[in-house]
Amino acid sequence: MLLQNLKIVLVVLGTLGLYTWVANAIPQVESEVPAQLSFGADVTPEELVSAGGQLFAGAGACVTCHGLEDRAPALLSDYGGAGPIGQRCADRVEGMDCKEYLYASLADPYSYLVEPFGPIMPDQRINLSEDQLWSLVAYLQDQGGEVTVTGADLQSTQASSAGGAASQGGGGAATAAASGPSSDATEATAVMQANLCFGCHKLGDQGVVLGPPFDGIGSRRDAAYLRNSILNPNAEVPEGYQEVAGLMPPNFGQMLTAGQLETIVQFLASQR
Amino acid sequence: MRSLIGALAALVLLAEPALAQEAARRYGDFPVIGSRAAVWVAAQLHLFFAAFVLGVPMFAVVAEVIGIKSGEERFDKLAKEFTRLLLVSYSATAVWGAVLVFALVTLYPGVWTYLAEIFDVSMWVYVGIFFFESATLYLYYYGWDLWKEGRAKWFHWGLGILLNLWGTTVMFIANSWLTYMMSPPAEVTPDTAPGMVQFWSAFANATWMPINIHRLIANVVFGGAIVGAYAAYRFLMAETDEERAHYDWMGYIGNFVAISALIVLPFAGYWLGREIYEFNQQMGITMMGGFMSWLWIVQAFLIGVLFLTGNYYLWVGMGRIPGAERFQPYTKYMLVVLVLGVIVWATPHSMIASRDEISAMGGQFHPFLGVLGVMSAKNTAVNLMILTTFLSFLLYRRANKEPVVGWAGRGTMVQGALFGIAALVVLFYGVYGYFVPAIVRIGFSVYQVLAVLSTIVAVVVLDVLMLRGATSRGEIRWGQMPPRSQYALFILAVTFTWLMGLMGFARSGIRQHWHVFEVMRDTSVDAATPALGYASVVISVCVLIFLGMVAFIFWVGGLAEKPIITKAARGEGPHAALQPAGGD
Repeated sequence: MLLQNLKIVLVVLGTLGLYTWVANAIPQVESEVPAQLSFGADVTPEELVSAGGQLFAGAGACVTCHGLEDRAPALLSDYGGAGPIGQRCADRVEGMDCKEYLYASLADPYSYLVEPFGPIMPDQRINLSEDQLWSLVAYLQDQGGEVTVTGADLQSTQASSAGGAASQGGGGAATAAASGPSSDATEATAVMQANLCFGCHKLGDQGVVLGPPFDGIGSRRDAAYLRNSILNPNAEVPEGYQEVAGLMPPNFGQMLTAGQLETIVQFLASQR
Repeated sequence: MRSLIGALAALVLLAEPALAQEAARRYGDFPVIGSRAAVWVAAQLHLFFAAFVLGVPMFAVVAEVIGIKSGEERFDKLAKEFTRLLLVSYSATAVWGAVLVFALVTLYPGVWTYLAEIFDVSMWVYVGIFFFESATLYLYYYGWDLWKEGRAKWFHWGLGILLNLWGTTVMFIANSWLTYMMSPPAEVTPDTAPGMVQFWSAFANATWMPINIHRLIANVVFGGAIVGAYAAYRFLMAETDEERAHYDWMGYIGNFVAISALIVLPFAGYWLGREIYEFNQQMGITMMGGFMSWLWIVQAFLIGVLFLTGNYYLWVGMGRIPGAERFQPYTKYMLVVLVLGVIVWATPHSMIASRDEISAMGGQFHPFLGVLGVMSAKNTAVNLMILTTFLSFLLYRRANKEPVVGWAGRGTMVQGALFGIAALVVLFYGVYGYFVPAIVRIGFSVYQVLAVLSTIVAVVVLDVLMLRGATSRGEIRWGQMPPRSQYALFILAVTFTWLMGLMGFARSGIRQHWHVFEVMRDTSVDAATPALGYASVVISVCVLIFLGMVAFIFWVGGLAEKPIITKAARGEGPHAALQPAGGD
């Protein structure tokens, strides 16, 4: 009986040992926490590029998609014959230089999709601080281009971010629109993205038509109506949408700051 | 004990409500292994025992009803023996549940407070149902001999059904807490105070139901595997042929239940995966192609072991069935399909690679292995493995039977044709998948799954009809199994347990440095999600503790049983006529 028990124990230990060995024999990849960065006004491009490179390959998890070319365009190597990202970034959007474009595409990736890739990249401001975002921008510029990020860029967005945070009581997804070199439209879009408005409403290429579309909504509704329908979505259900009545959360009044609400309302009212 | 947990929950509910980020910034410290490992071990062991005590009642009631319908007493005995194992494991489940709660309250008080504030109502309901579940279990087990005949037996079976209902409800409630951490509703942000989170939207979050279904099936697999291992141990230690025959049969039933449910499990897994992608594409990518990509290679290796060992057990078992020798030549071909399937399934594809690795491969993907590593090939491989395993079961079932219906020959040909068509459909969509965009290719897996499932259903129906009144080539010689087959059952149990731990790490780990994904950031020293090597050590330690405790519990259960049997058999002692305690 003792021998039999011993055999059983050996089989169990051997099986466990085999699995543990296999799991240790493969490449070990840890999901790091993005390290907190705090650069001063005198930060050098080299410092930013170095920090950005570590983020890109590590905690930022950028390589998960950018590199395989089946989820997102390659950034460190040539894509579409236009060279790595540092070479092609200035030509992506008319009127935006490389630095502006890279920052905006990190902060509002859905608005800068590259065909034929889908909208899978989250707003990086949820995970990364302003210093981290700028270090990524510097690193990407360094891929075939000239690094133009300076300490002044960091300070301007830090101040903007701090101001936004102070008025909103914290950071996070819902406050995402408060920072970055963005227009009112970009800010409103970011707030709406962060609050999943496009999960039910369509605006241009974004979103789905489950609730009333935002395209041209300013010509159909005035600002007061829009404000009321965000705060109290079930008060008046537009014709044709009775089936989805009750779907929109009634707590946007608690989730949005007054500033965010007005940004959205004015933006929607301008959609004519 | 549960009242104590409830009281603790009430205590933390008295705490000041705080925003998610502020709440998280309070952590305790656990010596030597750290807080994360402490909570990990407690949660994993609680889940192992919980899975066992939820899985076992499911097939206890199935075995019992088969016994009632067929009049075969061995099924009733089997159900009762399962339930006895359940009874002794129940307290271990509660103990580890309490350890987990204490660990959370002391080591992660901020997280606990946050969750308790959202889920307080469901926590009290959980405790209430737990009381009902306990009472039902005691009635079910201790009333076994009292309600043995006629209508009373059906009442007793109804208790078993009720026990399952309570258990499933308890699991569903607990699942809502952990799935909320993984997929909180879209309207919840870091600025949302927990008191403002709408209860039902948090409870019925995006991954709640897929996890419920996945765990429900996985619990059956797990329960079957552990019962199989228990039977294997009793078989190896048996002193009489009768005992050996009983435990051989019990081991077969355990393995049958485990492998049958395992066949369905990948489909539940697909659903869960799809919901994760729908909830947050980035989370899905992190899971399948990000830092966890190598985990799926390890998973493929483990599932390969399960398929190969499960089939091996069946093939060895055919040695004790008269007439099975006519099917044995086919096993080598089935082995080839299974081995090839495992090789394809375990082929790496979308891995995080360094610059050196990319240049060594000559590109992002390996020029040869890259073709086999894609989902088209993997889905094809796993569907063919499932078909092959089903064929093993079918041959095992038919081994000693001789159909007498006039259409038996044609029926067998139709069954063969169904297998062939299913394999062709799977292969066709597997190959076609290489020539279409990814979004179209994903839909092909549905056709492959449907082809396999419909074949399984149709072949079983045909088989049942065809074997009506079938003559026997000889009875199965239960107990005449070589010992090596029983070690296969141990390997199955260890592998299922380890796999459950691995998948638990995957589910929890995809949150990365968030307690509640993108709502409550983990700011503790353990915020980074560890690599697979470290995780495997924790999982192995958990499995070892679990199996050690299970062995102890079963041994204690055996202590109460054996002396009485011996005395009763000898006709000795004052209670010689008594039945064994809780026994056979």
